Amino acid sequence: MVHRYELSVLKALKERGGIGLEELISLASIGKDEAMWSLENLKERGMVRIDYEEDERAVLSDEGRDYAESGLPEELLIRRINAGEDEIRPSDLDDKGKLGLQWAKKDGMVEIEGGVLKLTAEGRRAGAERMLPDSRLLKELLDNPGDGAAIRSNGERLRRLEKRGLVRIEKHKKIKRIEIDEKGIEGLGEGVPDSIDSIDRSIIASGAWKGMEFKRYDVNVNVEKQAPARRHPMKRLLDDLKDAYVSMGFREVSGPAVESSFWVFDSLFVPQDHPARDAQDTFYVANLDKAALDDVPHVKTIKRAHEKGWHTKWREDAAGQMLLRTHTTSVSSRYLYSVINDFKQNPDKYELPIKLFSIGRVFRNETVDYRHLADFYQMDGLIIGKDLTLSNLFDQITKIYDCIGMKIKFKPSYFPFVEPGVEFMAYSEKGGEWIELGGAGMIREEITGIRRSKLSVLAWGPGIDRILLIKDPTISNISELYNNDIGWVRDRKGA
Amino acid sequence: MPVISFNKKYVYGLLGSGIDEKKLEEQVTKLGFEVESVDSENISLEVTANRLDLLDAVGFARALKNFMHKSSKFSYEIKNKEPAFSITVDPSVKRIRPFISGIAAYGVKMDESALANMINYTEKLCETYGRNRRKIAIGLHDLDSVKPPMSYKASGDMSYVPLGNEGAMKFSEVLEGHEKGRQYGSIIKGAKKSYYPALIDSEGVMSFIPILNSDRTRITTATRNVFVDITGTSEYAVNKIPDLIAASLMDLGAEVRKVRIDYGKKHIDTPETERRYITIPLSKAEKEIGVEIGYNNIISLANKMGYEAALIGNNIRFSVPEYRLDVIDEQDIIEDIAIGYGYDYINPLSVFYSQQGSLEERTKFNRKVVEIMIGLGFSEMTNSYLTNASTNFEKPCIEDRKEAIRLKDSKTETISMMRTWILPSLLSNLGMSSHERMPQDIFELDMAFCVKSGKPVESHRLGCVSINPKSNFNEVKAAVEGLLSALGKEHSISEYRHGSFIDGRCAEISIDGKGMGFFGELHPKVLKNFGIEEPGTAFELDLGRFYDKLRAEP
Repeated sequence: MVHRYELSVLKALKERGGIGLEELISLASIGKDEAMWSLENLKERGMVRIDYEEDERAVLSDEGRDYAESGLPEELLIRRINAGEDEIRPSDLDDKGKLGLQWAKKDGMVEIEGGVLKLTAEGRRAGAERMLPDSRLLKELLDNPGDGAAIRSNGERLRRLEKRGLVRIEKHKKIKRIEIDEKGIEGLGEGVPDSIDSIDRSIIASGAWKGMEFKRYDVNVNVEKQAPARRHPMKRLLDDLKDAYVSMGFREVSGPAVESSFWVFDSLFVPQDHPARDAQDTFYVANLDKAALDDVPHVKTIKRAHEKGWHTKWREDAAGQMLLRTHTTSVSSRYLYSVINDFKQNPDKYELPIKLFSIGRVFRNETVDYRHLADFYQMDGLIIGKDLTLSNLFDQITKIYDCIGMKIKFKPSYFPFVEPGVEFMAYSEKGGEWIELGGAGMIREEITGIRRSKLSVLAWGPGIDRILLIKDPTISNISELYNNDIGWVRDRKGA
Repeated sequence: MPVISFNKKYVYGLLGSGIDEKKLEEQVTKLGFEVESVDSENISLEVTANRLDLLDAVGFARALKNFMHKSSKFSYEIKNKEPAFSITVDPSVKRIRPFISGIAAYGVKMDESALANMINYTEKLCETYGRNRRKIAIGLHDLDSVKPPMSYKASGDMSYVPLGNEGAMKFSEVLEGHEKGRQYGSIIKGAKKSYYPALIDSEGVMSFIPILNSDRTRITTATRNVFVDITGTSEYAVNKIPDLIAASLMDLGAEVRKVRIDYGKKHIDTPETERRYITIPLSKAEKEIGVEIGYNNIISLANKMGYEAALIGNNIRFSVPEYRLDVIDEQDIIEDIAIGYGYDYINPLSVFYSQQGSLEERTKFNRKVVEIMIGLGFSEMTNSYLTNASTNFEKPCIEDRKEAIRLKDSKTETISMMRTWILPSLLSNLGMSSHERMPQDIFELDMAFCVKSGKPVESHRLGCVSINPKSNFNEVKAAVEGLLSALGKEHSISEYRHGSFIDGRCAEISIDGKGMGFFGELHPKVLKNFGIEEPGTAFELDLGRFYDKLRAEP
């Protein structure tokens, strides 16, 4: 696209080639600035050819500029004497006046008679003129730096001003001839924008936008929306939950996903013949060694608890089997054991209560379909302290869910390793019903191996998927959380 | 948790007047159970696995009536210590199914629904607590049809008329030909051939244990006197279950008598129904629950939960109901007190905490990496850790070096192992997203697994795939360099061969000479295998190893 000014330039040049700048300006009827940047742009795009020549020009110094505006000092002095209001003595003059006196005397326009300044005949003649010739030249140069021709015609006078430091004579490149090129003729056909469409670097730098309209756009135009890179909502929720725990003074811990039966079941008082341990429900691993439990002193406590509580022989062999954990409570169990083991030896080492949490994947041997998954997320909370109560448990769980904006309630329930046992649920506005979130309770003494009067332990281990199911109106079943449809992740509503 | 179904009319009959559906549901919830559904015929409940007494409509009604203070029967002790008759146990059963117990109940108020409930109940017990009859099995008989003396032994291949059958069958025929034989035969498979456990009276076989009773002693609505046999592998369970069933028979108006089990050197009379007492200071219960109960209320709370209780000084002595096999010690009693008090009325009490919470360092590091990946324009995915050899090895054209953790007996065909790397999960995601617009840039930072000398190794890995019509090696290299320089780690890049990438357009990332990951242009055959029809690039980093390197820095 060719700009309006550029078009005027091209038209003028087509009409008359080989002209100078002045001629172009008058032919194209545009200002000198506009002509200059138009030529610059056109030359860059190969639309015009420009020949240059060496030239001189006279440029005012700061002092020269000053005198051009206010008059030369001698001129001011002559006017003052001419006005003749009172007698002026040299001692009355300021610095500028003294400078004027110096030049006026040199040019024979003022003399001193009896200590008083008087105009000579020359001075009187000059005083009658509106301006001294030097002053007139300065004024001309102010409006239009003289070119080579002007310098030549005012040669002597200019050199005098140069000597006084009022003018500098400089060499420079001057446009001699401007010619339109073939591309320029093509450019003529491109037409003139009556307004600016897209803005580029040159428009901003050149100031071409000045005095132009910007093309108006349809703000309701249909665009393809940009797909932002997004976090997966499940992972985001995990982070939110972790932050909630940390805000309540919990320390994050983690443990293995591929775990021994001992930490997943036995240490949590799940009898060895319990159906939950069947391969029907739990993934056992085919190609791992059994876990060595001989260096875990806790095994003895657990063996005793099982044989007393379940009245069956407890087999260490079965406890060593490797499987995919069915709950993250195995992590709590590992930490519970190590903290209590430590505590027994050195009860003063710990500042109680100790608050721990873990979040991780758990596994069930399920037939996977749109409602059932074989792996999903669970979180576990654990508080080890003195004189902890069921009401403390309610408090901590309530607050965790409060952090993510959910109200919950409790009811009795049963899990082998806790007593009292608790289940908690949240109200789903979407489904209009209470939805179970998970279990909780106070860990049995048989498992901790320490009396509750000395140390008690609160624990909970709800699933996480249901939180999103309840909170996110766009999710209708659990498998959607893990389908990883790119569109779903990128385009979903809600930050 | 087990779900059980009762005949609605029968339950309401047992509960007596003044209970409607709404009240029932409310009370059940307070007790910690749930009404699953109610229709014109049945009421379905979800009960917790510890409360075996609630698998029975009679036990359920008992618990509810106690809870509403509509009953004051707390003891199910058999006062008459004399056994009604005895069963001789032959040593031959020792290695098959060593234990038996029995109950004799006289004057049971039997009708159709009572009979149906009794059968359902005992079946449910065998199924759940009895581990499908392996641990315990229960047989119901018409006591008047039984002709003592009785013996329990491993017999030869005897013949009898099985329950519901017209003609006689041999034990071996029942195992092969009868539905119950096929269902439960495996329980006694370990036994020597032609050595079948059986309960026998003077007229012959009463029951082929634990498979099927005889038709001769079948229990009917005309039955008034009932004999129950319980057999199993757990001595404790076999001797305790009679207490539970006896309580129900007593609630049905029966006089329950003991049966002597004669093991030769020793004997036991069942149901034992010994009263157990557990004594707790009131303050302990209050302290553990975190509420004030008071002496005035504690007895009433105990009664509500079916306990007889007495104040002895500052202590409360609870007598444990005979049917509550789940009550082990004071912890269980305290739970029952809390339930009686009502979880809804226990106010949350805040826990003092003086310590700062904290995230694991790993978590903080992973968060930074995720932030950078999002900044590079990749969206986050979350895939299953479970996969199969086809997805993990074959489709991405890499060799299976038998290092994957393999799973046994998976119910889902597409699950047989744990993933060893991340990219196959992401490529599967892209294969199913062909309808979505380009470019498609995704990543996942999560776990992958393998076996190293018999032990599991779990590692954090970062996988990343980009597909778009112009994707190329320079683009993925730019992303990798961008990530690594943001993480601030000197690394080197060298040529690499990897089955998933085009040879000559694949590179390895190393730090101090150790391979940390790889990247390149995905081979068209790999893209095709995953159903992707646009050019793609990918990288995968062993982020765990990378993290360790970062941490090792001084």
